[in-house]
Amino acid sequence: MTGRRRQDWLGYLFVAPYLLLFGAFLVGPLLYGLRLSLFRWEMLNATPPAFIGLGNYREAFSDPNFWKALWATLRMVVWITPCTVLLALFTALGLHSLRGRRQGLYRAAYFVPTMLTITVVGILWRWFYHPDLGLFNSCLQAWFGLKAPWFSDAAWATAAIVIMTVWWTMGGPMVILLAGLQGVPVQYAEAATLDGAGPLQRLWYVTLPILRPVLLFTVALNTIGAFQIFGQTYLVTRGGPEYATRTLVHLIYDTAFQNYRLGYAAALSWLMFLLIGAFAVMQFRMLRER
Amino acid sequence: MKTPRRFGSRPDRAKPAGMGRLTLLEAAMLLGGLLFLAPIAIIVLTALKPDSEIVHFGSILPRHATLANFGRVLATPEEFPIARWFANSVLVSGATSLLVVTVDALAAYGLARLNLPGKRWVFGLIVATLMVPGQILLTPVYLLLAWLGWLDTYQALIVPAGAGAFGVFMLHQFFLAIPRDIEEAAMIDGCSRLRIFLQIVLPLSRPALATLGIFTFVGSWNDFLGPLVFLDSAEKYTLPVGVAIFQSSYYTEYGLTLAAGVICTLPILLVFLAFQRHIIEGIAMSGLKD
Repeated sequence: MTGRRRQDWLGYLFVAPYLLLFGAFLVGPLLYGLRLSLFRWEMLNATPPAFIGLGNYREAFSDPNFWKALWATLRMVVWITPCTVLLALFTALGLHSLRGRRQGLYRAAYFVPTMLTITVVGILWRWFYHPDLGLFNSCLQAWFGLKAPWFSDAAWATAAIVIMTVWWTMGGPMVILLAGLQGVPVQYAEAATLDGAGPLQRLWYVTLPILRPVLLFTVALNTIGAFQIFGQTYLVTRGGPEYATRTLVHLIYDTAFQNYRLGYAAALSWLMFLLIGAFAVMQFRMLRER
Repeated sequence: MKTPRRFGSRPDRAKPAGMGRLTLLEAAMLLGGLLFLAPIAIIVLTALKPDSEIVHFGSILPRHATLANFGRVLATPEEFPIARWFANSVLVSGATSLLVVTVDALAAYGLARLNLPGKRWVFGLIVATLMVPGQILLTPVYLLLAWLGWLDTYQALIVPAGAGAFGVFMLHQFFLAIPRDIEEAAMIDGCSRLRIFLQIVLPLSRPALATLGIFTFVGSWNDFLGPLVFLDSAEKYTLPVGVAIFQSSYYTEYGLTLAAGVICTLPILLVFLAFQRHIIEGIAMSGLKD
């Protein structure tokens, strides 16, 4: 370790290329977005950008579209996160009890949907949900003589987004949880078995408590992801019916790139950021408590 | 499961008694796995159906399998240049992963190994941005790209991706785990920092670099919002956006859009089959700190 105490300014040459990109395309835009959110900045309008303080934020709080998008997003988050993480946990537990090559094979099968582009996922599920020609309604029609209003009813449309999202995004948390399970020391489970604990008791009293940090991490990660849903609603429900499934990111996209209200879009982005930040802090506090 | 549960991931040394037996649990895993794969199988099978069979749903399997849909998708290169979009996707994703791996490896090495003044703060700031949702940067980055004159160019999709913190974080943790002795021996022999990095650290880190590269490639290949917002001209589209446009033009012809979806999916499935281990490890690593 000798000679290592010397401060090494020249070493920053290694970090410089990344820091340049990091500053220009991450920290810079983040702060610039904050500034932007304090301006009226409309590209379709001939008037130059004007500083309006917190005007955009005030507008958001009295904007029914914002509240609608917020509720639409929250409705999806409270379904998607628990469903995804629970399904991922059960699948990971199942995979963990399999051995060697078979484990790899099954893991791949459950993981493949995560590899698909949202466009393909959108094409696929839009066709599944199609009211007349779709696979689901064709089957429902043939077997029970009824059809589900996948796109025309708000609750059904939300369910449609939730189902496809769980299918599409379950692979990531599953892999993380499986890796976490493989890190659980064998001795604990063996000791519990010697003490006469059955498989369910081992799971509840030994495995899950040790897995807790990883589990909470996947919950936090998945919540952040679920808050940012866009492709599914943009491609499958088109935000409908009557904007019932238009999420926050979808609203930000419409505001910025359909209506070209960049200042307002930046304010909405920062509101979303604060919301996600609050959730993340809450969840990480739970993680630390243990 | 009468034998004690195995918690390690090493190949089993125990008696191979239960090897061929299909347990209830594994049957459930198999069924679930098939259910997860079913939508992908259905999209391929349906793309092989002639239109009449798609509209009047009879069975999952095509009665008269045909490649006509694929032929028609590829038949209008002026209007829907699928081959061009494919090439664009390869170019953009390839360049992005090259940039990310290069820049992140340099930065991670500097932060993990060199005695940079204030590096704790720099690394802390970088890690903190892991929590920043990408969508919040959309509007400011759009304005930045407009100012640079980069809208509707490939570099608009490539360069900003280099600012992401995930790779720096991941490689940093990996470099920390490499024993210092090798590098110190090389330093005593008079090797420069750069040579140590290029000739010792990089070869030792090949698996981690490959993981990051493939991971970035897939993420870039599947990116939808970026190309949707930053590109204008159809000949510059990447596959996901191109196919989404294609879908909205032919949304009544499901055979065509499903065939386009299959064309979009096949390459990424091949990448997945070839590099499954790397991709899954990359995700597992993102969930397990230290």
